[in-house]
Amino acid sequence: MKINPIYRQESRAGARSFKLPLIILGFNGVLAVVALLYMYSMIMQVRLTAEIQYSSFLGLYVFVTTVEFILLLFIIPGLTAGSISGERERQTLDLMLTTRVRAVDIVFGKLVLGLSTVFLLIVSSFPILSLVFIYGGVTMADVGRLLICYVVTAVLVGSAGLFCSAAMRRSTMATVAAYLTVALLVAGTLVVNYLADGFAEMTSVSGNSAVSWPLYLLLCNPAALFQSVLSGQVGSESGMAVLFPQLERIADMGALGRYWQLISVIVQLLLSAAFLWGAVRRTEPARRK
Amino acid sequence: MLQIENLKKVFGRMVALDGLNMTVEQGALYGFVGPNGAGKTTTIKTIIGLLAPDDGRVLVNGLDVAKERDRVMARIGYVPDAFGVYDNLKVSEYMEFFASCYGLTGLKARKRGQMLLEQVGLDDKADFYVEGLSRGMKQRLCLARALIHNPPVLVMDEPTAGLDPRTRYEFKEILKELQGQGKTVLISSHILPELAEICTDIGVIDQGRMVFEGSMDEILAQINVSSPLLISVSGSQQTALKLLREHPMVETITIREEDIVVGFSGDKKDEAALLQSLVEADAGVYGFVREKGSLESVFMQITDHSDGEVVLIHED
Repeated sequence: MKINPIYRQESRAGARSFKLPLIILGFNGVLAVVALLYMYSMIMQVRLTAEIQYSSFLGLYVFVTTVEFILLLFIIPGLTAGSISGERERQTLDLMLTTRVRAVDIVFGKLVLGLSTVFLLIVSSFPILSLVFIYGGVTMADVGRLLICYVVTAVLVGSAGLFCSAAMRRSTMATVAAYLTVALLVAGTLVVNYLADGFAEMTSVSGNSAVSWPLYLLLCNPAALFQSVLSGQVGSESGMAVLFPQLERIADMGALGRYWQLISVIVQLLLSAAFLWGAVRRTEPARRK
Repeated sequence: MLQIENLKKVFGRMVALDGLNMTVEQGALYGFVGPNGAGKTTTIKTIIGLLAPDDGRVLVNGLDVAKERDRVMARIGYVPDAFGVYDNLKVSEYMEFFASCYGLTGLKARKRGQMLLEQVGLDDKADFYVEGLSRGMKQRLCLARALIHNPPVLVMDEPTAGLDPRTRYEFKEILKELQGQGKTVLISSHILPELAEICTDIGVIDQGRMVFEGSMDEILAQINVSSPLLISVSGSQQTALKLLREHPMVETITIREEDIVVGFSGDKKDEAALLQSLVEADAGVYGFVREKGSLESVFMQITDHSDGEVVLIHED
């Protein structure tokens, strides 16, 4: 099997640098501190009340996975946004494009590289995540579903980062654009929903909560998908539920509501494909003026 | 062989290439010269498929770059004006990476890389990081990289820019060696004399058009024609000036101290006829010689945009 040359070269150079070990250390360090503090507070509570609340142990799962999700949202754009623009700045992009390597190979090589780093982060966090299995309440299937959610998020955010990297000349601009795109997907779609809800509240006489079109925007929101997965596992009051009151209305959406998570995964993967297509088009040499 | 037919490229309002035609014969070391902004880099980027032409086509060994990119890329090597290196890779790894970009991997890639590093004199630097190399070494590494897939055609965009004289000399020697191997080499520069020592053919581009194309011998023959005549006369210059002003082959007349500097478009026969008419007019000619010309002066003449009117200038 032929390995993508860009992936092979970057992973070889990356393996020598301190960047990756530092990211893994920082990522797991934050997770470990969060998990240990949470466990410590639970134990202190047990000491005070002499009662063991098993629901609190589920809180550990929610807390750690939420922190992990937020960290991924912050790390992935940073990993991918400078990848193609960086090649352009080093003036190596033209050299690659004058070989038999195509723009699509470059974009996918960079994506796989970013995803492999994310995969490494997720796998390395398993020992911390497995703390929750000491007390039970979460099944392997739940963790598997969560992993799918992480991977879909990584693909979407990574693709957005690559698109920005291909579209912008400078890595700094590409990084800013990538974080803005992520903010638009996560906070932007949510803000539109809040505004729509506020507007509906002002104009509605009966105060009914009919499903409005902005709710469909949340299908593109990786945080909404994550929250939906988490709510399905440990209850609708968990994690960032307070930020997504709109998700409670999903149940009123019939078939769409029943398959919300699956549809959201498909929509986000389609959006990723669109970002990747855009990145390839922007990298193709003959398109450049 | 490299052939460019009626190439046109426009960036916004600026016409970069305006119907450029060019032929580089197989095994030629072709010097592609032009002033800054003439369209050299645009031409080169179109040849290597980085820019799509608005009109016209580029053929590399008979293959159209726009239609058969993969086959063309396997036959062409490119050395840009910038180094384009990964500082965090070792020299040997850099070569292996670009070998893999052409589908060459494993022992074959390593051997080819080693051989090329030897050819450019970097074999002892194979385990060094690229960032530790000097400017000249980086440029030689770039050349080795461009040859990793053994292309019959090599295209180089101002490769000697910013290099010291010794490195330039070494670079030229490598180019001669490549030409000896039967490779077709296109090398661009804005300094004509720099290419004169090594090139077999020259093409001069100006404002997106080819203004001169021919063999090195042809351009050297132009040196004499393009250099002015120095005519020295005793006594009054008026008789000589009157005759010169009326001569159809006289393009410019400049008075430099006691000499008359004449831009003369005729050949040696015409020079003899002019001298004879000056003697017959009793102009008191005691000196009549072609000024020693240079490639630089030919280049300036070819790329000069001023009108060729007859003028009379006094040089103080």
